[in-house]
Amino acid sequence: MVTAFRPVDLREALAVRAGERTIVFAGGSDLMVRGRSIYGGAPRFNLPVLMVGHLPELREITLDGGVLTIGPCCTLSRILCHEAVPSYVRAPLLGMASPPVRNIATLGGNICNASPAGDSLPMLYALDARIELRATDRIRTLKVADFITGPGRTLLKEDEILTGISIPLADFSRVYYRKVGTRRANGISKVSLFAAAKLSASRVEALRISLGAVAPMALRSRVAENMLESLPLEAVARRVDAVKDCFASLINPIDDMRSSKEYRRTVAFNLLENYLCNLISEEDFS
Amino acid sequence: MDDISRPIRRFDFDEKIAGKALYCADVRLDNMLHAKTLRSTKARARIVSIETPPLPEGFLVVDAGDIPGRNVVPGYYDDQPFFAQGTVNYVGEPILLLVGPDKDMIIRLLERFRVTYEEMKPVLTIEEAEGAGEGFIFGDKSSFFTLEYSNGDPDNGSLHSARIFTDEFRTGLQEHAYLEPQGLLAVYGDDGICVSGSMQCPYFIKEALVRALGWPEERIRVIQLPTGGAFGGKEEYPSIPAVHAALAAVKARKPVSLVFDRHEDMLCTTKRHPSVIRLKSYVDVNNRVIGREVDIRIDAGAYAGLSGVVLQRMMFSCGGVYDVPNLKVTGKAFATNNVVSGAFRGFGAPQVFFAIETHMENIAGALNLDVMEFKRRHFLHKGDTSSTGGIFHNEIKLDEIVSALERMSGYSRKRGPTGPGNGKLGGIGFACFFHGCGFTGSGESELIRARVRLKKYQDNTVEIFVSSTEIGQGSLTTLRKIVARTLEVPIETVKHTYPDTDECPDSGPTVASRTVMIVGRLLREAALEMKRRWDEDTFDVFREFRFPEHLAWDNKTFRGNAYPEYAWGGNVVSVEVDPLTFEVEVTGIWAVYDIGAPVDETIVRGQIEGGILQGLGYGGMEVMQTRDGAPLQASLTDYAVPNALDFPPMEIMLMDNPFSGGPFGARGLGELPLVGAAPALALAIQNAIGRKVTQLPVTPEIIMEMMKRGD
Amino acid sequence: MEIEVRFELNGKDVAVRTDPLSRLLDVLRDGLNLTGTKEGCGEGECGACAVLLDGHLVNSCLIPAISLEGKSVLTIEGYRDTERFAVLKEAFAGTGAVQCGFCTPGILMAAEAILRRNPHPTEEELREGLSGNLCRCTGYAMIVEGILLAAEKGTGIW
Repeated sequence: MVTAFRPVDLREALAVRAGERTIVFAGGSDLMVRGRSIYGGAPRFNLPVLMVGHLPELREITLDGGVLTIGPCCTLSRILCHEAVPSYVRAPLLGMASPPVRNIATLGGNICNASPAGDSLPMLYALDARIELRATDRIRTLKVADFITGPGRTLLKEDEILTGISIPLADFSRVYYRKVGTRRANGISKVSLFAAAKLSASRVEALRISLGAVAPMALRSRVAENMLESLPLEAVARRVDAVKDCFASLINPIDDMRSSKEYRRTVAFNLLENYLCNLISEEDFS
Repeated sequence: MDDISRPIRRFDFDEKIAGKALYCADVRLDNMLHAKTLRSTKARARIVSIETPPLPEGFLVVDAGDIPGRNVVPGYYDDQPFFAQGTVNYVGEPILLLVGPDKDMIIRLLERFRVTYEEMKPVLTIEEAEGAGEGFIFGDKSSFFTLEYSNGDPDNGSLHSARIFTDEFRTGLQEHAYLEPQGLLAVYGDDGICVSGSMQCPYFIKEALVRALGWPEERIRVIQLPTGGAFGGKEEYPSIPAVHAALAAVKARKPVSLVFDRHEDMLCTTKRHPSVIRLKSYVDVNNRVIGREVDIRIDAGAYAGLSGVVLQRMMFSCGGVYDVPNLKVTGKAFATNNVVSGAFRGFGAPQVFFAIETHMENIAGALNLDVMEFKRRHFLHKGDTSSTGGIFHNEIKLDEIVSALERMSGYSRKRGPTGPGNGKLGGIGFACFFHGCGFTGSGESELIRARVRLKKYQDNTVEIFVSSTEIGQGSLTTLRKIVARTLEVPIETVKHTYPDTDECPDSGPTVASRTVMIVGRLLREAALEMKRRWDEDTFDVFREFRFPEHLAWDNKTFRGNAYPEYAWGGNVVSVEVDPLTFEVEVTGIWAVYDIGAPVDETIVRGQIEGGILQGLGYGGMEVMQTRDGAPLQASLTDYAVPNALDFPPMEIMLMDNPFSGGPFGARGLGELPLVGAAPALALAIQNAIGRKVTQLPVTPEIIMEMMKRGD
Repeated sequence: MEIEVRFELNGKDVAVRTDPLSRLLDVLRDGLNLTGTKEGCGEGECGACAVLLDGHLVNSCLIPAISLEGKSVLTIEGYRDTERFAVLKEAFAGTGAVQCGFCTPGILMAAEAILRRNPHPTEEELREGLSGNLCRCTGYAMIVEGILLAAEKGTGIW
């Protein structure tokens, strides 16, 4: 029987984390399945489980100075109905799993799972989201994009817990999110695109693009974004191919049981081109 | 509408809505033990050794050595063991059962078993089986069944001057994904063994138990419990876990509950036959198909199972709804080291109608003809003969079906090049099809010989005793309606519970769309006799199936009436294909069916809607591939079954065409709705993207490849 | 190492001794012999095991016992005594929303979860709310009609 810890507060949780190797358990929507035997039954793990999903310190949502801070153990449902969360942050969460799973799954869990197909990750990469990691004796923050180092791999140390997720918000005007899954809803992502742009009357002020499920980690390219940032609107159309070429070397999908690499590559480029070609419309020139 | 069609509250409703119906996994008995199965992880191998961990008190292993009778599942060739003995032929083949009082402990112990295999070269595809010169799985043959027949004169000279059109189609596996996994419960007592659980065919299970235990029939009893969906997946398969559970109950002398985990169920239970179908049609100068050759190859998996009957149904249906003289049909069911293919709603027809409907559409396209006109021209009519030379004795309303579909869907108008105007590629497709109701060929009279029992009690209540099982399709309600209406008694006075082989005669399996049409008709006949004798106190009436006099069937030459009757139908499906992602959105579904008189309009609608959705899933989203013989998508996360957001509501119409040979005019219904959905979807996609669809399921990945190829 | 968990079940306080990671589904079915909640997949995909946890629809196969402390659980065994269930029951009977019945308890829990937040959902909102409940028998339309009918007939009850 595996020992499970249910600390009363974050301080106690960190103390446990410092004292022994544990598996951090937030919502459990992934762990409760992954931990099962091929023969079924309840999940079992070879390390004690540290329950953190109930800790109030990890379940708050605040908006302060243009930065949205989401507790890692907020369920996706709670994030979806919180008024401080803008629609472009909600969009990828709406496409995750199903209503009953969203009622227990957490954003922190999605980040720490670090799946190449993790639905929240392109959005978090594109928006330069940062996470806070705490141990008993230290705090550090880093970008989500730096925290995740490979499929299922993160920089989380054995004595750390993910304690905060911060997303700097901006008034993006051209936001686009599309997930192509194995089903119209409640499917695993085959390809996803998150893009957001801020346009002024004459220029592209900011551009963020991130692709999911087409590489070992979510893809973002500042080189590609820089090609269009600060450009006058009329010049955007000419640069679309260069942006696509930039991504061409980065997109590296695989064949697996859900889809083919050819499909993922083709659709990723179709979505990217579609976004870029429709970024500037007639009205923007008036 | 006729009285009988008017919907009533289902008799199994109250129990199910309250969560009170006890399915197999819900039953708790004193001293009950649990059981889980150790299965092969190799597609083909010799078992060199099995290392068993030390077992605590109360835990025991059950395997082939515990079979007092014969370790052979009753089947056409008797080629499949209940427990693998020495060799394994597919991933998931059962090797042994571990039984004990604690489920978690069973799992932990099973994880510690070590099976040492000596791997053998597996045969993994139809092509590999066909090309193999040695290393056969089934004796010295690559296929379990090689069949052929012809109609008319397929070698006649006039075909040489005709235009020739050929097509080849492939279809993949489909998993039943009934919501309730397989479950059987065995209790051993002084009277013998009683096995209850989730099943379609209590007598198939009884036969398997007699074989495995070698006991007299009187000591073997099978009772159906509420069953959470089946669709053919609980037709022949449960005989194996039923025997496992029974052997365990006998050895342990305690009740044994064997319930599958979902992943296990998806891995090792029967699936729809993958197929490769080739068609070659000869078309004369009048644009009439005057000859056709059809070759059907199916993947039977590791054991013969029901593949012979599936192959037959495919071969007898491959003419489609068309009157084509000079037909030549060949078929093979190949032995491979894949999971055993078996019964699944439609039983081969979904594969074949996809092929024939797409082929006919392709011919019309090549000849620049309106496809509806082209198909109509060839429609079968009353008095025509079928592909096996049997006369269609009853009115066939295909023309009316197509006209109704055209009216309801606006098919012809929507066929044109004008898109939906939203950047998507719009398309619409239609398919016409039939389903032979009842067992193929002489099965009803030679294999099944259905028998029903109707009992009248002194208090004037009546009870139905048949082996037909309620699997969601409403048989606990429809059969009662037939009897009550015939006897003209209040339906509340007619009793009918889940079948028990101690009480119910063998009315045959709950398959082949036969329950209302054949068993229901026998009950009606029994009720008519009961009505004549109503004044007698308490008595039983038995009726046995008699092959209709006006029909004939020769099982050696495959000539005559392959089915006692047919149900007919047409589907139209409209789609929008996203040119960026190649995803398909179904925007409309229309269905017009001739299933004779509906015995309950709500139950009929439920069967139609559920069947169509299963067919659309089969056509567009249910992908199950294998690697090294193991299904890759063996979980509900990975195998995409339609959910409430995948398809829009559908429009349904029933044709008024009562069948005089069915109770109150009813034909069979259960399978027809699934048969025609995938063809209509495939043709809609074909219309939308302007490329020929050649395989099912038509996934976005396949659509992308087709569009890139620029056919 | 077993723990004792205290929670409210169908309006009554219960205490169970169990492994901290044992699933709520098993606590209900095996520990408390409440078999109305079904296991269809064990991986949070089919919704047959759905219950209400603190009023939220969850798949009980994904809930570890240790997280139940102090919470409230509603299952079909508790729900079937309510007026809301009675309205849904009659509506479902009329629209043919039950065939094999295995998905039904989970569907009812989902219906309750939707209606208590949105007493008059549109069809689209309803289908979205049901997207975590699989049904292989009905094709969904008759279930959707049943819930919409219940919402209409039960105005004021939700």
